[in-house]
Amino acid sequence: MLILISCFLLFASALALVLLRIFQPNARYTWLLAVGGAILALVSVYGWLALTPFDLALPAWQPRTLFINPILFRADDISWPFALSISALTLAVLLTAVARPAFTNSLTWAGTLALGGLGILAVTADNPLTLLMIWGALDMTELIAQLRSVDGPAANEKVVTSFSSRAFGIGLLLWASIISIAQGNIFDFQSIASGSGLYLVAAAGLRLGVLPLHLPYSSESTLRRGFGTALRLISAASSLVLLAHVPAESLISSITPFLFILAVGASLYGGWMWLRAPDELTGRPYWIIGIASLAVLSALSGNSTGVVAWGCALILVGGALFLASVQQTWLNRAMLIGAWSMSSLPFSLTASAWVGRLGFFTVFVVVAQALLTAGFIRNALRPTGRDSLDAQQNWMRTVYPAGIFMLIFFQVLLGLAGWNGSSQIGAWLLAVIVSLLTFGVIWATPRFRILNPVRAHWLTPADSGLNTIYQGFWTIYRIFGNIGQTVTDVLEGEGGIMWTLLFIVLFVSLLTQGSR
Amino acid sequence: MNAPIIWILIPFLMGILIFLFLPERHSPLAGGTFATILAIVALVFPIDVALLLGSISLKISSSIQFFGRSFVLNTADGPLLAVIYGLAALWFFGTHASGTANRFVSIGLMIVSLLTASIAVEPFLFAAVLIEIAAMLTIPLLVPPYQKPGKGVVRFLIYQTLAMPFILFSGWMLAGVEASPGDLGATTQAGAMLGMGFAFLFGVFPLYNWIPMLMEESSPYVTGFLLWALPTFTAIFALGFLDQYTWIRNTPQLISTIQLAGVMMVASGGFFAAVQRHIGRIMGYTAIAEVGLVIIAMSLPSSELVSITFMLLIPRGLELAVWALALSILKRRVYSLRFSELQGIARSHPLAAAALILAHLSMTGFPLLAGFPSRIALWQELAGQSLLISFWAFLGLLGLLIAAIRTLAVFVMAKEQVPWQINEDWPQVIMLGIGIIGLFVLGMFPQILHPFIRNLPALFEHLGQ
Repeated sequence: MLILISCFLLFASALALVLLRIFQPNARYTWLLAVGGAILALVSVYGWLALTPFDLALPAWQPRTLFINPILFRADDISWPFALSISALTLAVLLTAVARPAFTNSLTWAGTLALGGLGILAVTADNPLTLLMIWGALDMTELIAQLRSVDGPAANEKVVTSFSSRAFGIGLLLWASIISIAQGNIFDFQSIASGSGLYLVAAAGLRLGVLPLHLPYSSESTLRRGFGTALRLISAASSLVLLAHVPAESLISSITPFLFILAVGASLYGGWMWLRAPDELTGRPYWIIGIASLAVLSALSGNSTGVVAWGCALILVGGALFLASVQQTWLNRAMLIGAWSMSSLPFSLTASAWVGRLGFFTVFVVVAQALLTAGFIRNALRPTGRDSLDAQQNWMRTVYPAGIFMLIFFQVLLGLAGWNGSSQIGAWLLAVIVSLLTFGVIWATPRFRILNPVRAHWLTPADSGLNTIYQGFWTIYRIFGNIGQTVTDVLEGEGGIMWTLLFIVLFVSLLTQGSR
Repeated sequence: MNAPIIWILIPFLMGILIFLFLPERHSPLAGGTFATILAIVALVFPIDVALLLGSISLKISSSIQFFGRSFVLNTADGPLLAVIYGLAALWFFGTHASGTANRFVSIGLMIVSLLTASIAVEPFLFAAVLIEIAAMLTIPLLVPPYQKPGKGVVRFLIYQTLAMPFILFSGWMLAGVEASPGDLGATTQAGAMLGMGFAFLFGVFPLYNWIPMLMEESSPYVTGFLLWALPTFTAIFALGFLDQYTWIRNTPQLISTIQLAGVMMVASGGFFAAVQRHIGRIMGYTAIAEVGLVIIAMSLPSSELVSITFMLLIPRGLELAVWALALSILKRRVYSLRFSELQGIARSHPLAAAALILAHLSMTGFPLLAGFPSRIALWQELAGQSLLISFWAFLGLLGLLIAAIRTLAVFVMAKEQVPWQINEDWPQVIMLGIGIIGLFVLGMFPQILHPFIRNLPALFEHLGQ
């Protein structure tokens, strides 16, 4: 029931904002209403701790004989840290909105609140059926929001491409369910069949842009800091949560090493591009790919708490950075706590990240993590390109940093208490190496030209070398298209009926032979 | 009162009256309202059960004799009639918004009544004749006045007409098979005859080539109606065969053939949809793939066969109606329905574009939409039977998804600085809005169909018992 209360608070606030927008467009308390709803939701999510684990089952679909799995949500060690991070991010987006140029856009706040509610539902989904439904809702929301915000054929096409990769991820999750049912299992996260685990990883990887490497998130959008950040991070978290549900034993396969290689490649690519991104918003898709790859690697190494840790880091550390649009020296320094959260050092947020079996891939993982952390530090300390709070009113100067500080506070809190992966020493030696390498990269950045950020207009992700691979897919598609056209021309041409009847006669003869 | 008179004769006569006396602008409202009333009556008044209204006793009797044949509609038919006339009402109400001519409503009513007669007639073999008459009635709708019929129409008529003798002939042979079940030769011949008849009726691969042709050359709304009505009633007719002749269900080769036919329809429909550049043809191939799913469902050796089949058929009516309406609206704005003509149309007709994409996604089984629960139910049963068939069916649906994504990409690829504008008129907005809401409601709360589906297995004595 508590899950329902938290989500209800967010959805009800969103609905109230929309109604106010329609019936009282000049209402002056809309922001307070939005923030009030978000605060209550955050408090209620924190309150889950007293009762976890607990379930919320919606009325089952009928007939029960056909729909064995109900729509089920569960608050536990996996979902709670995610839900807390999402509700904190939702509140932070609203608090930091006071410093944005378009402060009075209550529809954007409503969208953020609704997205937060959907995000909480996604991370608490306790079976694939429920997750499929929430993924569907999130994907449609993202598609509509993106299409409304972009202009021009290329940008629109990119939005559809990103939607398609997530839709195919849905398809993979469905196929994993089918395989599990074929092996005689009732498909929920507690009884995943041995053959399904890899499909689940592939489904999450595809949605996140990791397996195979692609950019599912367009950066050319007016949805930049506030709603855009919530959209990107919550959408990614909703996919990451699936990885946390995959049991280690279902991942033992001959294909697993290949998935490791693909994920390592994606993590290095994401880390490298993130380090060299001209600013944090342009580099945001790479941040997501980089962290998601590390989460995939955690899952493949059989460490589900690591997935949760990376998921929370993605939201809380990334959220603090992407929402920070105002230049304040002490705030920038405070954000460096995010580097600690990213370091996997003992008692940090990601301390439990590498307790699984990485084997040969450890070296690459360390490099990728160092690149991501170094990129984070560089972006957090960048002095240029940000507004100032000086011209804002007093209350705004207080509220805005509170939003960022809250995300930093929750990074520290989740590292120390509250869930299964907190208060851990973890793989400390690996963490020390990562930290040293990070400092090395930071030291080297101004000294070696190759590590310098590239200019924004040089960063052309859609036209990069990756595209040549995808051009290959297009060629195959065109070949199939030509075959299809030829068959269609034959069947719909003048002799079509004769060809059709001939085919039927052949078909019946074959079947008759077969039956004999 | 008599059930066949209420749901067969009166709608047929109403169709004639609308055709002869009602002006064009009033016919959608009249036909839609009338169909709605019939649906409500079917839902509220159980057939063959006496109802006491104060001192008055009302009973709708179930059968009537006509030229030596019986037409029987039982208590279990009530929910089915409600669904049929409810969906028909949706099609009729949408006529004005789609810009289709008025005789659609009148002839549509006649077609629905004839098809209803096909599920009521006994011996049930005569359903083939009634389906053929209904198919012939669609010709005036498909061919505009004073125009030569296109190739698609001619093929449609040829294939539907070929179906009838095959089925009637197989009926005669089946009687012999029942008498001597050990005669393998007779069984094979009867099975082949029956299979051919239904292959023509359902449009099994490659007999479905009239569908994309028709979608290209005729009104999308009329063709959509045809693609809804004919396979729906053919499926009920086929279920009757499966129910009546136990040996069909117990012959593994025959069941495998049915499964193979269904899978070929889904896989080939998905493949051809994925490579099309004409959104009308894409709709045609998607409808084909969905009929394939219905055939797969009918071949399941499961007690839930009837429920799954109807779970597929009912949302299909809504999906096709929304899709056909959106297509008709778009067709009025552009020269043709090819991709090249439709680039960026979502900016000028966002509701029609959204409705079309949502209907398409629903038919691919996208979560939250009407087609999703039925596919989950199908996978639940099919995966346990055969992973290979599940794989090919899944691949077919993936093809439909590719087609949906391509269509979406074309719709939104507008030039720069083109604003979003709603150019649909009010009736169109209302009908599309209702359709879109319906797609979501059926996708999120499929249990609302349960009261309709719950008693449908009772229609078939042996299936699903």
